[in-house]
Amino acid sequence: MSNQFGGGRPPDLADVMAQVSDSLGRNFRKLGPVVLILFLLFLAATGFYQVEPGEVGVVRTLGKETGRTEPGLHFRIPLLQRVDVVDISEVRRIEVGFRGDQVKAAEAQMLTGDENMVQAQMIVQYRIADPSKYLFRLARPEDTLRATAEVVLRSVVGRMTIDDVITRGRGQVQTESLEELQRLMNTYESGIEITEVKLQSVDPPDPVKDAFHDVVRAREEKEKLINQARGYQEDLIPRARGEAQQMLRSAEAYKEQRVLEATGDAERFNALYAEYRKAEKVTRRRLHLESMERVLAKVDSKTIVDRQLSGSTLPILPLGNKPAVRAAVGATVATEQGAAQ
Amino acid sequence: MNRSLAIVLAIIGIWLAWSSFYILHEGEQAIVTHFGEYRYSVREPGLYPKWPIANEVHRMERRILGTDSPPQEYLTLDKKKLVADPVSRWRIVDPLRFHTSVRDESGAKARISDIVNSELRREIANNDFGDIIGTARGPMMQRVAEGARGRVAAFGIELVDVRIKRADLPLEVQESVFARMRAERDRSAKRYRSEGHEEAAKIRAETDKTRAILLAEAYRDAQSLRGEGDGESARIYAEAYGKDPDFYALTRSLQVYENTITEKDALVLSTGSDLLSHVDSP
Repeated sequence: MSNQFGGGRPPDLADVMAQVSDSLGRNFRKLGPVVLILFLLFLAATGFYQVEPGEVGVVRTLGKETGRTEPGLHFRIPLLQRVDVVDISEVRRIEVGFRGDQVKAAEAQMLTGDENMVQAQMIVQYRIADPSKYLFRLARPEDTLRATAEVVLRSVVGRMTIDDVITRGRGQVQTESLEELQRLMNTYESGIEITEVKLQSVDPPDPVKDAFHDVVRAREEKEKLINQARGYQEDLIPRARGEAQQMLRSAEAYKEQRVLEATGDAERFNALYAEYRKAEKVTRRRLHLESMERVLAKVDSKTIVDRQLSGSTLPILPLGNKPAVRAAVGATVATEQGAAQ
Repeated sequence: MNRSLAIVLAIIGIWLAWSSFYILHEGEQAIVTHFGEYRYSVREPGLYPKWPIANEVHRMERRILGTDSPPQEYLTLDKKKLVADPVSRWRIVDPLRFHTSVRDESGAKARISDIVNSELRREIANNDFGDIIGTARGPMMQRVAEGARGRVAAFGIELVDVRIKRADLPLEVQESVFARMRAERDRSAKRYRSEGHEEAAKIRAETDKTRAILLAEAYRDAQSLRGEGDGESARIYAEAYGKDPDFYALTRSLQVYENTITEKDALVLSTGSDLLSHVDSP
């Protein structure tokens, strides 16, 4: 602007003012309506907003909550109305005791009722059930939820023993935590609904982990030993039963055999005896002779001695000299057979 | 000149209109002062008029606020150290008192922290460590909240509740807890192992016993059966052979000869015997 005046003379302030206001006035008269319309259009454009499916718009008119809007395109009066769009269908989650892959040791470590320590990690899933409360009743609802989840988890775990927490009590921790967390979030007017509490893991702290694992191993070893002993039992008892049955059966067989044999022998004797009674003398003789026949036929070496010599010659017979005896005997055998017939 | 005056006036007019009203939003409350002097409190949202310049609106939260005190060490009744960090939830119910006594949230948080800590210290000192960790925690925190509630009311604050977020052992004590835990676990590991041996030995012994009894019973029954067989056969023999012992002796003797004299034996027979008496004499 200064080069417009040129020269060294300072410009007259009144002149400048007149010039500025004149040009302003001229420009305003031409541009004024255009600027005004553009401004109003711009203002109106900022009044449009969109609510996505699953969301709800909470409308405040002059600061006061006056209504809600469903999914779709809506208009609010600029400056007078404000809208907060809240997602009420999305299930969100917070993590207690860890973030992603990282364990937060101080947050995860807690005392159990029997004054032991565990590391617990929990996931809390929630959604916004009441957007008005969520927005206007509780400051920083997410932070409150996180802190309260920690409070609740610790107080539930604090009522249980370490063995319960680590093994059977998992479900109990989850249900009790859910109930208590919901109850507290309701007293804080958070408008948050807890949909699920999941215990990710409950472990003994790192310094004592090995000792806990050793207990698990010991328990398995115990089972193994018992199972081995049961195996021994399963193996031995049926075998013994079999052995016993075998003994019994063989004894029964022996008994039957003895009785049957005795009966057979007795019957044979009885039959023979019946005949024997009819002719005692000749039967005795016959039986004797038949037996002798069979005996003598069997024996290779036979020596017949004269009745006068018996009692004196026997010691000098060359009994050990087999061929000599056989030669001497040759004739007697024929004689014997002849006699027997 | 006229036009510029109009513009200036318009700007002043807009400013006046603007500063004659204020909007209080949901979740807010305010006190209004007139040249620094308290006039009235506003607790409901909406559009309200005020005097420009003269009136000043001090807004504050109407929502529930939280105070997370830093962890502190406490001493329990059984003289154990406990690190706890209480969390308090509270809301401003009397804006004027709040404004005059603590001015703003950070001032309120400091006062609440102090009060809650002192209440908590007293309650913890009246309880044993184990109870605080476990079942007594709920009622104890109720009493802390009860005690603190009366004292923070003076600041225009209502205490919703007080909870202990973390109640832990001091770091230097943790190592001894770990040592105890290890010892307990070692003990139960040993117990499991020896229980395993005990149980296994019991089962094996029981098995051996059952087996021995089974076999002995079988032996007894077997022997008795064999005896019955022997007895029965003896009776049958006696009955049959008793009819004529002499004849029995004959037949049995002959059988013995037949069965026992084999081809390897050498027989020396005399012609004097009955059998061979006919060899030399007809």
